[in-house]
Amino acid sequence: MKQIAIYGKGGIGKSSISSNLSVNLASNGLEVLLVGCDPKSDSAINLFGGRRIDTVLDLYKKGVTDPDKLVFEGFNGVKAVEVGGPAAGVGCAGRGILVALKTLNKDYYLEKGFDVVIYDVPGDVVCGGFAGPAREGYADEIYIVTSGEYLSIYAANNIVKGLFNLNVKLGGIIGNMRGITNEVEKIELYAKEIDSSLIGAIERNHKIHESEIEGKTVLEKYPNDPLNLKFKDIGSKILQNKKAKVPTPTVDEKIRSILGGVY
Amino acid sequence: MNILTPRPNPIVAALYTLRDLDVDVAVLHGPSGCGFRAARLLEEDGMKVVTTSMSEEDLIFGASDKLIEVLKEVDDLFSPNLIGVVGSCVSMIIGENVKKAIIDSGLSDKAFFIEIHGCMGANTRGAIETLKAARDFGLIDEREFKRQEKMLLLATEVELNRGMAKLKYTRPSRGADLKTVAEYIINQLKENKKIAVILNAKKETAYLFADIPLAINLASKKYGGSVINIANLSTDIGLSRIRRYAKDIINDFESNGISIDYISGGVDEYPISGKKAIEYLENKEFDLLVAVGIPQALPTIKKDSIAVTNGPREVHPLEDAGYKYVTVEIASHSTVMGTREIVLSELGEVIRNIAGT
Ligand SMILES: Nc1ncnc2c1ncn2[C@@H]1O[C@H](COP(=O)(O)OP(=O)(O)OP(=O)(O)O)[C@@H](O)[C@H]1O
Ligand code: SF4
Ligand SMILES: [Mg+2]
Repeated sequence: MKQIAIYGKGGIGKSSISSNLSVNLASNGLEVLLVGCDPKSDSAINLFGGRRIDTVLDLYKKGVTDPDKLVFEGFNGVKAVEVGGPAAGVGCAGRGILVALKTLNKDYYLEKGFDVVIYDVPGDVVCGGFAGPAREGYADEIYIVTSGEYLSIYAANNIVKGLFNLNVKLGGIIGNMRGITNEVEKIELYAKEIDSSLIGAIERNHKIHESEIEGKTVLEKYPNDPLNLKFKDIGSKILQNKKAKVPTPTVDEKIRSILGGVY
Repeated sequence: MNILTPRPNPIVAALYTLRDLDVDVAVLHGPSGCGFRAARLLEEDGMKVVTTSMSEEDLIFGASDKLIEVLKEVDDLFSPNLIGVVGSCVSMIIGENVKKAIIDSGLSDKAFFIEIHGCMGANTRGAIETLKAARDFGLIDEREFKRQEKMLLLATEVELNRGMAKLKYTRPSRGADLKTVAEYIINQLKENKKIAVILNAKKETAYLFADIPLAINLASKKYGGSVINIANLSTDIGLSRIRRYAKDIINDFESNGISIDYISGGVDEYPISGKKAIEYLENKEFDLLVAVGIPQALPTIKKDSIAVTNGPREVHPLEDAGYKYVTVEIASHSTVMGTREIVLSELGEVIRNIAGT
């Protein structure tokens, strides 16, 4: 079993990539569990035709803690969980993630024979709770989603700082393109700077949000689209990846000079 | 310096201050174990203490509804005139909107919120925040607030400079053997010596510490010697509850034929009344000083002296300050709750036993 967590700047495309990755890995015959860690509960929405599944924390509130009852089966047999959390502006979402992860009980994944567990983590890691999936016993390695834009890489570097402090391994960087000049090169240079690599890049593609409007992944709406091959390719690279290691964060000036050097 | 010794607690200080303000019910917005020990003691002193019993679920989702519910329940159960809502780390870290909950409960004419963040920081902070909230709610005026705030800040300084916050770690100690101390005092009296006794007590603990001057005075009546009595028992300073403590104790002294030579301040003025007491003694002749209550707040003098303090962690700092003997009245908070008269102290009892008074 391999467990990975997807981090990256808010709105960069983590949930789109996680869900598309999940369904494509499942078509390769793998047992996949997608764990949405965002209180806004939108990680798995495209596996259920836009329907929201009951969240772990809502069920926990009702006294339901049996992991079997927290996991739902979505498109292509992908199993999905949404952690859920408080309404905006009240309570503590970070604590919610920790409690939900504990309720889910990581041994359960092993028992159920999952091949891959993907944690989709909210964009802004604002407190320790959001680092929960990166802690020992959960994700084996982290993947950071970024575009070539400055603020996206800046956010990536902040996450790298966190991984460095927590001594957590980075599997690599997944590019989600915004269509800026020399974008792949920029991300590659940054990846090298932090002692990591770009393992794949998804182009900006209207089919992603067209599918999303119907509550679907690209695989469900456009089964034969080559974009699916891209997700499959990233998926198999992740599964085979043996090079994950603790990254070394860089400084802001360095990011600016890398991006400035390759206009 | 990061002080390793756990220290007095702001939540507890807030609760005690609510009690001083004659608040009927304190609502702790926190987990069920928060403030447990103090809550139990304060109930004996007539103030109800209840908790919203925040759970893990409340921490994640917020618990304003629960707080509103508890406030209404408390109002039904106890028909209080005044309710103080005290935050805990749990409710404050998640930013509970307590003020809004009070308004939504419909009890904003009798309930007010004390914004403290759990066990963090100096205990006096908890007291100051409570007084601030009481002032804003119209329970005390600005002058009284300022006076008490000054005392509390000075009390923090005393702890820092002369008490258990002085060192990184302070070992607890029971101090000198009570029999040895009692015999020493009695022998001084037998030798016709003069003892200056300073009662410099904090609030309700005065009911306990006053027993020591009482016992010494009674022993002096039997054996001779003489006593200079100094006490922070002003009946015109502080909240009405605090003044009542002073009146009760003075009544007890009077009915035992003991008069106080010098009133050094009010019972909530222990951070400054100790200094005044020592100033008063400056030109007086005496052979032994016995300081009881918060002796940490007294300037040290080059004289034969005995200190009786309120906590085992205050012993070593006082020994270091040069007192010949230091002892502790362990039960200083628990025995005084709800009393209206001087209660028995350990040292007082030993003195009486030896003296047969
Ligand atoms: N490669 C892409 N091409 C076109 N649209 C994309 C692409 N990637 C993501 N999007 C769109 O961008 C929006 C944000 O994506 P998504 O919700 O996956 O981001 P996120 O990183 O999960 O955000 P959050 O941090 O809020 O969780 C979505 O509407 C999605 O359809
Ligand atoms: S640590 Fe928090 S919950 Fe515990 S007693 Fe202090 S304020 Fe209450
Ligand atoms: Mg997302």
